[in-house]
Amino acid sequence: MKWKNRKPFISTDLEEASPLRNFDPRAKLFLSLCASVVVMLPLQRLVIFLGIYIIFMIWARLFSRFLKQLDKIKWVLIFLFLVDWLVVSLQLAVEVTLRLTVVTSVFTVLIATTTPGELALALERLGLPYRFAFSIRLAFQSLSMLEQEWQAILEAQKSRGVFSDIMNIRTIFTKVGDLVSLTVPAIVLATRQAWVITESATARGFDSPMRKPYRQLSFTTRDWVLGIISAGLVLTLIFWR
Amino acid sequence: MLHSENVSFSYPQTNRSCGLLSLSLHQGESALVHGPSGCGKSTLARCLAGLIPHLYHGQMNGDVWIGERNTKEMQSWEIAREVGFVFQNPAAQMVASTVEDELLFGLENLGLPKEEIKTRLDFVVDQFQLNSFLKRSPYTLSGGEQQKLSLAAIIAMQPSVLIMDEPLSMLDSSSAYEFINLLIEQQEEGKSLVFFEHRLPYLQDFPGLKRIPPGIASNEQPGSQIPTLPYPEKAEAYSIRVQGLTVSFGKKKILEDLNLEFKGGELVALVGKNGSGKTTLLRSLAGLQPYEGSIRVLGDGQNESDLPRLNMVFQNPDTQLFNPTVREEILYKIQQPNHELYEWLIQALKLENYQETQPLLLSEGEKRRLALAITIMHPHQHGILLDEPSLGQDQRHKDLLIEILKTISQAGYLVFFATHDIELAAHADRMILISEQGIIADGPTRNILQNQNAWQQAGLILPHWIAP
Repeated sequence: MKWKNRKPFISTDLEEASPLRNFDPRAKLFLSLCASVVVMLPLQRLVIFLGIYIIFMIWARLFSRFLKQLDKIKWVLIFLFLVDWLVVSLQLAVEVTLRLTVVTSVFTVLIATTTPGELALALERLGLPYRFAFSIRLAFQSLSMLEQEWQAILEAQKSRGVFSDIMNIRTIFTKVGDLVSLTVPAIVLATRQAWVITESATARGFDSPMRKPYRQLSFTTRDWVLGIISAGLVLTLIFWR
Repeated sequence: MLHSENVSFSYPQTNRSCGLLSLSLHQGESALVHGPSGCGKSTLARCLAGLIPHLYHGQMNGDVWIGERNTKEMQSWEIAREVGFVFQNPAAQMVASTVEDELLFGLENLGLPKEEIKTRLDFVVDQFQLNSFLKRSPYTLSGGEQQKLSLAAIIAMQPSVLIMDEPLSMLDSSSAYEFINLLIEQQEEGKSLVFFEHRLPYLQDFPGLKRIPPGIASNEQPGSQIPTLPYPEKAEAYSIRVQGLTVSFGKKKILEDLNLEFKGGELVALVGKNGSGKTTLLRSLAGLQPYEGSIRVLGDGQNESDLPRLNMVFQNPDTQLFNPTVREEILYKIQQPNHELYEWLIQALKLENYQETQPLLLSEGEKRRLALAITIMHPHQHGILLDEPSLGQDQRHKDLLIEILKTISQAGYLVFFATHDIELAAHADRMILISEQGIIADGPTRNILQNQNAWQQAGLILPHWIAP
């Protein structure tokens, strides 16, 4: 018998071979911010941006990673596309699908080339209090762990017969009830994990007013170039007549 | 250096309390606080480390002094400079995404100059041999490596006292010995150590260890009488054949071409180092793990192609519990419950007084027994699988557990458990030693315990108090 191994929904592995890996995380954050603004633009400009962004991802050796991430959300995209098309219009369906695709690409570029520690340091340097930057770092770091916990809960509950009924109108309320068997343990485990990390961080002086970061960031010429190109592209798309 | 007087603590929600602990440690001295599961060792450890009262709500009585200062009057970051705390579960306490960042976290909090941080970082990396791990995620390390990392991260901060809450509970025998040797070095360098632990034999040769009488009453009463009731159901004769079992995660083969045969009525222990593939083998047998090869059940009137129906008890009981009462939890999704079996279970597992209790309010030991009850109650035609069933359990709980497992196997069911706890495994009829290279040895437990070569090959140390 041959089964397919399940891959994580959000991969947090780093793409060490990407040239973006060595850029300052603040430049990558700025790039993400610019791309997020583009999401609001009309369809034609959105298509132009996505075209350029895809070329950029190919240069950054992140295109295959982007496609894999897209593959994981394909059913969400298809569902939204069909609902928007049938309920409103084809144009809205295409716009919404492209916007989600841009958001996915932005997220992929950032996650695949930046460690949670680097992201937190960048946010701290941009003026966010350490406490909040640290929380964001932990949230990013915990993504894969929470997914593993969720998988463990799903297996444990399935092994005692949860979700084993055939889906029909009679069993629909049972299915809703079964969801409780997943959500309660998930909340309990996530809360417990958060508490253990709080304890661990406190036991190592997390709230010390004397904290000094060991690593420093340096914003070099290439980071300026990336920032200027990102800003230039977004401004052109916004003000282009 | 560390002094406590009549320390106790009570939680506001549950009214559970623990105490009293009095101890006095000077530089280079060590103490062991022991007691049954559920007696509040972890709570007392947190009192000594200053996490209580700074992080927990509740009533703390008594005082803890570090040098001349009372922990109640210190900030938690001031306490962290003097007292290091090693938690039971090394994976859960990691705060960083790389080993290097994990080591840097505490050093940055001390506010040290960059050069000093570099010096200390290099020192612990060298002392704990972490050089090859620095850029790796802590979550990819084995249990032993994670516990070594958690100790290194604390030692880098150079505290004068180390408090450890069951630091050995998740380690295999060789990792446990390695960890103890590192701690002996720390003691020789002048650190004071306090262990809260119930794997006591591992610490019996620890130099100068003071044993602190518990002075604490357990909230649980298991094991006072081991059940002798017969299991109410009998299984037909059958065997399970595993052929060419291979499991891969990406390019890495966790199990490769494994061939095994089990018979109904066997009590089998699977022993190996952390990361040797024990859980993966159990998950494959339970039908939860994608695999190549075949797992078939033979000879109980079924077709040869049928898969075995083996229920699994998972490591973490919290993944299962959500019902409002223990009774409802055990009977959840059972179409026609066998009431005789239910009564047997709650008596055998000492849960009869908790039938109307909310499962999440039970102690860890009670939750583990409840998870076992859930698994056994669910129809399991061929037997049960258990993943690290003795984790965090004291000797009385282990005795209770092993008696229950023997009773189930005597009724004709296969009972197959994976463990790094060799004391528990020694009670099985048959033992399988596994390593990353595959099955090292398989046979009657007594024979395996005498096979020194096999233990060496598996990378495990057979503790001298177990060797026949």
